[in-house]
Amino acid sequence: VGRGVLVRLVAVGLAAAAVAFAVAFFVPWLPTPASKQADRIDFVFWFVSVISIAIFALVASVILYAVVRFRARPDDDSDGAPIHGHTALEIVWTAVPAALVTAISVVSAVALAQNDHLPKKHMRVNVTAQQFAWTFSYPKYRGLTSSILRLPIHEPVELKMRSKDVIHSFWVPQFGQKQDLVPGITTRLVITPKRLGAYPVVCTELCGEGHAIMRTEAIVMRPTAFVAWVRGQERAAAQASQGTAGGGPGLSVFKSAGCVGCHTFKPAGSTATTGPDLDNLKADAQRAGKPLEPFVRQSIIDPNAYIEKGYQPNIMPSTFKSLPRQQLDALVQFLVKGQK
Amino acid sequence: VTTALAAGDELHAGPAPPPRGWRRLLAPGWVRVPWMTALFFGIGLGITLLVRWIEGWHPIWDGQVITTVELAATPLGFLAGIGGFDYWVRYAIGSPTRPEDHSGHGAYSWRDYFRINTDHKVIGIQYLVTTVFFFIAAGLMAMVMRAELARPGMQYVGNQVFNELFSVHAALMIFLFIIPAFAGLGNFVIPLMIGAPDMAFPRLNALSFWLLPVAGLMMLSSLVVPGFGGGWTCYAPLCSTHQELGAVFFNMGVQWAGASSIMTALNFLVTIITMRAPGMTFWRMPLLVWANFTTSLLVVIATPFIAGSQFMTMFDHVMHTNFFNADQHGYVLGYQHIFWFYSHPAVYIMMLPGFGIASEVISTFARKPIFGYRLMALSLMAILVLGFSVWAHHMFVSGMAPWLRVPMMVTSVVIAVPTGIKVFSWLATLWEGKLNFSTPMLFALGFVSMFVIGGLSGIYLAAVPIDIHVSDTYFVVAHIHYVLFGGSLFTIFAGIYYWFPKMTGRMYNESLGKLHFWLTFIGFNATFFPMHYLGIQGMPRRVSDYAPRFADLNFFISIASFFLGASTLVFLYNMIVSWARGEPAPSNPWRALTIEWQVASPPPVFNFDEVPQVVGGPYEYGVPGARHAVFNGDRAPEREPVSSG
Repeated sequence: VGRGVLVRLVAVGLAAAAVAFAVAFFVPWLPTPASKQADRIDFVFWFVSVISIAIFALVASVILYAVVRFRARPDDDSDGAPIHGHTALEIVWTAVPAALVTAISVVSAVALAQNDHLPKKHMRVNVTAQQFAWTFSYPKYRGLTSSILRLPIHEPVELKMRSKDVIHSFWVPQFGQKQDLVPGITTRLVITPKRLGAYPVVCTELCGEGHAIMRTEAIVMRPTAFVAWVRGQERAAAQASQGTAGGGPGLSVFKSAGCVGCHTFKPAGSTATTGPDLDNLKADAQRAGKPLEPFVRQSIIDPNAYIEKGYQPNIMPSTFKSLPRQQLDALVQFLVKGQK
Repeated sequence: VTTALAAGDELHAGPAPPPRGWRRLLAPGWVRVPWMTALFFGIGLGITLLVRWIEGWHPIWDGQVITTVELAATPLGFLAGIGGFDYWVRYAIGSPTRPEDHSGHGAYSWRDYFRINTDHKVIGIQYLVTTVFFFIAAGLMAMVMRAELARPGMQYVGNQVFNELFSVHAALMIFLFIIPAFAGLGNFVIPLMIGAPDMAFPRLNALSFWLLPVAGLMMLSSLVVPGFGGGWTCYAPLCSTHQELGAVFFNMGVQWAGASSIMTALNFLVTIITMRAPGMTFWRMPLLVWANFTTSLLVVIATPFIAGSQFMTMFDHVMHTNFFNADQHGYVLGYQHIFWFYSHPAVYIMMLPGFGIASEVISTFARKPIFGYRLMALSLMAILVLGFSVWAHHMFVSGMAPWLRVPMMVTSVVIAVPTGIKVFSWLATLWEGKLNFSTPMLFALGFVSMFVIGGLSGIYLAAVPIDIHVSDTYFVVAHIHYVLFGGSLFTIFAGIYYWFPKMTGRMYNESLGKLHFWLTFIGFNATFFPMHYLGIQGMPRRVSDYAPRFADLNFFISIASFFLGASTLVFLYNMIVSWARGEPAPSNPWRALTIEWQVASPPPVFNFDEVPQVVGGPYEYGVPGARHAVFNGDRAPEREPVSSG
């Protein structure tokens, strides 16, 4: 390989690298990180990217150079140089990639260990997934339950995750962290939020017909705002359990069965929008042409019997028909009494 | 469209004439198929109902159980009808077997492609035509999906139909296109390349082909039967206890396709080990033979695992065995471990033959020996071994034992080393060559460049922290398409164009071939490259609907994918018209050295009128006086093999 060839090859290589770098740096590839873990993931991402760009540029430049330089003229039937190999070169291109992937492994392993580390002082949130809803409960606040994940900023949180039916997966792109929820085992995930805002919670493991709409939100709040929200929830729960809504057993079924994950219902303080708003059950029953109480009961045990306009059949699980009779009655009463 | 008769074939003048009268019903073929299929259906039904009646299981008529039994019984009837078992049954029951008169060999009219045919060249073409059919079917499903995804919200299909579309799309592309298309190319080429008259077990070869349409129809009909929306990975418990009957069609389809795969692999192994021409040492084998050898080892070792995993999910579904039912102390993650213990090696089953094709094509069209031949062969073996130690990198976020992640990451990235050796060696083969950019070469070079992108995104996915962020997102969709489309499909196209003259005896249209390449290359990158961005930004895979902020890019991707889909029409037109009316092909249009090019196009029924003698390496381009193989008539003096690598 002559000197001139090498110069031209390096020139093509630098050009290819410049294009690849431009694509890498001028496109905002990564979402703005909102957790400490996402920062480390981003670091590994760029570490791998620099190596990848270098290798891609090398390959692209050799192909481009060869395609232009070694193209045979149409009348040229001769063979190329009978080169069978080059031991030194082969050792180099075995050893260099081996070194590079070792470096990637080390960096990744360190970042992984840091991301898995849970500081002593942390908050715990229990996450329950079911087709097709998320429920978050805060053991520290006597089982406070919400369909939206609210987290105080800068406080490490450990998510303890369980699934009621099939495999789901918890992912907030801005947090970077992801973990499957598997029936029969409890999985965990560590997140340290570092940026205020509301971010999407996405189910990333195919979980059935409603997989595409199994979404909720994660909201990172100031600690004071978080405490205020907790107090508000506790007050609402207390009022609900004493007030006209009846609360009590009905409310706890509403939370434990996962209704909060999909439905808005003021007496329960839930605000999810996957399913219809349960504050309007009277109007819904009228449209369905049924009295309120039988309508509510039927909608729980046979969700496809009446589908509210704008919603799809088969999204609400049909498993609620197996709720114990007592719980079902309490739930129906809670819903009926909660109507204005 | 017929394999021409060469001199000396008069003794084997085609199949015996069909019997007359009622005896036609007994002769293997399409007359026997309907009644035998019905008979086996009846036997399956009868046994099921009888057992249920005797045991007093109610209801006696249970559609789900009957369907499951029939998915095993009815195909057996079809295969028996078409004649897949005739010889063995005669042998087993002691009736006189027909002496091998080779009447099953060769194709003398188009009808010979529609019967049990024991000629590896006919079977190779049967494979390729069948797999291209399923490729088109699965491609059309992708078009429907992209139409739905062009805009956010729901437009054309419902959620469940969408889930079924991507499940069947992947199942067909993997089990009915890529894996068997490579088996088809190998079937045609391998015996010719090693100087063998046929595969080692021609009847087994015929049977393994006829299992394919069975598996394909089963998977296609899982679109019609309600309920296979569990993804091609068919994760339990979604795909076992939470799906309807359609999932069982997938489970059983995998069994038939897997059985076909295993039989072919055994056939390849025995053929390559025992039937090489004199002088064809392992170090003189073309790299495609090496690639099929390693692939077949992978298939034989790994495929039983997916068979097991699909049986277990199916038993959970119809027999309540609770392997993966957490409510009854089943272990949900067990499925994924078993499944990926096959399905990661399956990635190499879908890639190594492509490596082999790329080596043949690049060496021939660069007019140069493959750079580092021995290291190329050894890196195939290295990938084979390492391929079994990386399965859990598909499970970094699954909740498996956390300690497994780092070791599996290390083994996964180490595979980049042998793969890198192959890529760098192809590049070095181009160096100082005399490059000729015919269509096969364009696809081979397209493969090398696209596969590098797919390989590099594979490094991202192997690095655990990045994988945690991007797994189950469109980044993975982009990655698998760069590997399976940019990798496997580009090499399948390269192989089809490269051996088209040998298979059909006619040349394809070069201009249309080049047009096909450029349309595919541009359409492919425009479709799949932006998906990396979507995935990193937050779009999960396998969804029919997505956040409005991804709308513009998805619209662009959909348009590009229609463009890509349309490029296939150029390919089909070229293949069909050239097969019927193309220019007659010379025996060696590419001036290649391997043995398949030293016989007529198409080759004689028994490949070689005389046994070739292998006297040197397969890629000795530019070496003065070097020969790979000689025939007795023009025997060259035995010479030392030129040292390679």
